[in-house]
Amino acid sequence: MLDFFTIFSKGGIVLWCFQGTGVTESFTGPVNALIRSVILQERSGNNSYSHDALSLKYKLDNEFELVFVVGFQKILTLTYVDKFIDDVQLHFRDRYKNELEQKGALALLNSHFAFEDDFKMLLREAEESSKARGPTSMRSFNASLKSQKTVKSMIETKGGDKGKEQGGKKNKNAKKEAPAAEPVKGEKAKASTSAQKTEENGNQGLTQEEIIQKKREEFIRKRMGAPVEKPSKSPKPVKEKPKGKEKRVWTLGGSSTKELDYSQSNGNGAHAAGDQGLDAQADPGMQLSSMKGDLLAVDYESSEGEEEEEEEEEEDAVERVVVADTSKKIPKKGAFGGMFGMLKGLVGSKSLSQEDMEPVLDKMRDHLIAKNVAAEIASQLCDSVAKKLEGKVMGTFTTVASTVKGALQDSLVQILQPKRRVDILRDVLEARSQRRPFVITFCGVNGVGKSTNLAKISFWLIENGFTVLIAACDTFRAGAVEQLRTHQRRLNSLHPPQDHGGRPIVQLYEKGYGKDAAGIAMEAIAYARNQAFDVVLVDTAGRMQDNTPLMTALAKLIAVNMPDLVLFVGEALVGNEAVDQLVKFNQALADHSMSDKPRLIDGIVLTKFDTIDDKVGAAISMTYITGQPIVFVGTGQTYNDLRSLNARAVVGALMKA
Amino acid sequence: MATEPGINMEAKIDARENPFEPYLDALKKVLEDQDPIFMIGIVVSLAVVVITVVFLKYILSRKTVQSAVLLVGLCDSGKTLLFSRLLSGKFKKTQTSITDSSAPYKAKNERGSSWILIDLPGHDSLRPQYVEKFKSAARAMVFVVDSAIFQKEVRDVAEFLYFLLTDSVVSRNVPSLIVACNKQDITMAKSAKLIRQQLEKEMNTLRVTRSAALSAQDGSAGASVHLGKKGKDFEFSQLPMKVEFLECSARGSKGEDGEADIASLEKSLAKL
Repeated sequence: MLDFFTIFSKGGIVLWCFQGTGVTESFTGPVNALIRSVILQERSGNNSYSHDALSLKYKLDNEFELVFVVGFQKILTLTYVDKFIDDVQLHFRDRYKNELEQKGALALLNSHFAFEDDFKMLLREAEESSKARGPTSMRSFNASLKSQKTVKSMIETKGGDKGKEQGGKKNKNAKKEAPAAEPVKGEKAKASTSAQKTEENGNQGLTQEEIIQKKREEFIRKRMGAPVEKPSKSPKPVKEKPKGKEKRVWTLGGSSTKELDYSQSNGNGAHAAGDQGLDAQADPGMQLSSMKGDLLAVDYESSEGEEEEEEEEEEDAVERVVVADTSKKIPKKGAFGGMFGMLKGLVGSKSLSQEDMEPVLDKMRDHLIAKNVAAEIASQLCDSVAKKLEGKVMGTFTTVASTVKGALQDSLVQILQPKRRVDILRDVLEARSQRRPFVITFCGVNGVGKSTNLAKISFWLIENGFTVLIAACDTFRAGAVEQLRTHQRRLNSLHPPQDHGGRPIVQLYEKGYGKDAAGIAMEAIAYARNQAFDVVLVDTAGRMQDNTPLMTALAKLIAVNMPDLVLFVGEALVGNEAVDQLVKFNQALADHSMSDKPRLIDGIVLTKFDTIDDKVGAAISMTYITGQPIVFVGTGQTYNDLRSLNARAVVGALMKA
Repeated sequence: MATEPGINMEAKIDARENPFEPYLDALKKVLEDQDPIFMIGIVVSLAVVVITVVFLKYILSRKTVQSAVLLVGLCDSGKTLLFSRLLSGKFKKTQTSITDSSAPYKAKNERGSSWILIDLPGHDSLRPQYVEKFKSAARAMVFVVDSAIFQKEVRDVAEFLYFLLTDSVVSRNVPSLIVACNKQDITMAKSAKLIRQQLEKEMNTLRVTRSAALSAQDGSAGASVHLGKKGKDFEFSQLPMKVEFLECSARGSKGEDGEADIASLEKSLAKL
């Protein structure tokens, strides 16, 4: 039922592959997609990935630098796949240990891995084991603990028969008879198959009665509290009980059943809460006059405050659970063993295991979080590094800490490296040769520096000889258009039109306030095309990612105008919020676009970089979440404060103690 | 009058020497008290330490021996398959490489020289790290280009080539460059001559845009090496290193079981 199974080295050579019967498509495409999106983007904490209709599961063998990938149809749920990959891995390693241990790729190239038979055998075993288990069924009565208890008590009491006589009277008992009958039938069927249960067959009828007795007891207790029409019959079974067996004393129960009846207080409590709710709803009408005089203290924001507190508590609980999960494995080394372990770790080849890496990874995770990397991204990164290093053999005189730090550094640099070519000037030249303007759109939340950085980028572009049109699509914030006009005047005074053939090098396209931003953008682009401008910079209003109507408006602007570059402007001061902002922005752009290939965020502008010293974690969070490169870095408020990202320097600052 | 400052000066000099005097005398006495053999032992050990330090510095600062040929190129250009063909002649299915692979290669020439052939991953996020790691050991670079989709990728190819050529270590060591136009078995593949012309045009533009690119945030500017001659259009012949363009096909025109058409590549490698 598997579509394919490949074993290839990390250097790219396929050692062995298997293609399921009837599968004609090559698996190279999906596996390449798996490598690019998961392994190279450091998301290998979770070991499954889906591509079109296929679901791929993989396992990294870090000792011999191999990757095992299995692919099957997404609609099938195969339970044996995880264990199957592990078995195949162990088998393959044991069988080809000699070839794999040799350094250099020659051994891999020259040897032929005839793994077919072993693979088929393992696959057959895995499939059979999954079939044999079958769907998990409920525990039979005999297998549960109750049966063992009642057998003992049955030997002492004599009141079991009477319980059965009273069985026919009440409805509840009839219902209990029915489900009681079914397990009996089920048990009889199973008794025929398994020999163990034959000895307990004789006790079935009696044990059933015990259950019925107990359930009747509980039912009666509940009924006693509420005013019900059957007081006469109910006390009977209760009074008959003490003769048969000792009354069990419940610590929380109390002697009288009235204490156990919560019905009245529950109803009253519910009513009380409802009344309070009504009162609170009537209050807002009265709040207009309550603002006069001194301001009320914070406590009085009753319902809103409570709701916020509850939400915060839930979030804290979730965070605590996450933190507890990640730090659950505490190494239990004694002091003596720890010393020897350290010595052992220094000399000789030792393979890394999860327990060895735990403490170091926890420390690194905390360090990253202290450097302003978002918490969930730090934990995902550490999981991915753990997966990459598990089973790897360390050389002599390298400690676990240094290996883990090195691997983490490599993966951070890899994340920050752009996955596509980033050269704006070249792309502008290309657009110019095609006689169309190059459109860049800036989006982001409020106050991150969109307009300031737009001015810096236009300064950089005019320094390189391009004509720029600024489209003022921020029609909401007071003073936005005037701000851009001031920038335009300053830029024109720095590069006067006389130098550029009598034509102003920067122009502003604006239509005042309150108009539709998408319409203004479309007109601006058409104007630029007519007047042969090289670049159009579209400034949008800042908006919070939760504000659905504004996000829809932004998505419409981008979908309608199809800009060449959609830049998300984010400030370097942001912490965990960065993840939420980017995810929601991308989601909004994807949801409201009509086409199959929606335009998502293409690049990130990281602003206010001069305000953080070495807490540069926001860069990592943003690139990890989107997979898009950081195109510009804003380091100040003058026109010259625009830089590009140097991945090594940022990672160096991040890993510095 | 003039003598007074002189006397004062002398007095001052004496005063300055005087505090040192007792220390010097004490030192001399301690040294004389010691066993002469012990003194000689100390002097010899100090000399050994000094010589070792000098020796180590000399060794470490020497240029690392260049004995490797790097296979570089964009993702999916066929480097790993070429690697396999050169070393063993066999066809192997390949996936995107995540790490480098290296193996010793025996060149097909009379001298029988052998050096190490290293296949670097081409994925954009891994490229810079691996080039950084291996560039100092390179005596030649084989830049593999996918000739079939070259038109679409020309800007990416040119940018990577520009990055390689303007690297400070590369421009210092001047390894020879072989541009292998791979995938010639596909009918739409461009010829080596055409690829050369297109690359020269692209590099010409890149010279301008790359030098105008923004500097990094810690102040380090981009590559300051200027390719080719100023004022004239860029041509590969203007470069200080030997550049050669050739065509090859790692897959081979006869399908997977046939031979690969890498004769010209092997010849060039033999000339190294």
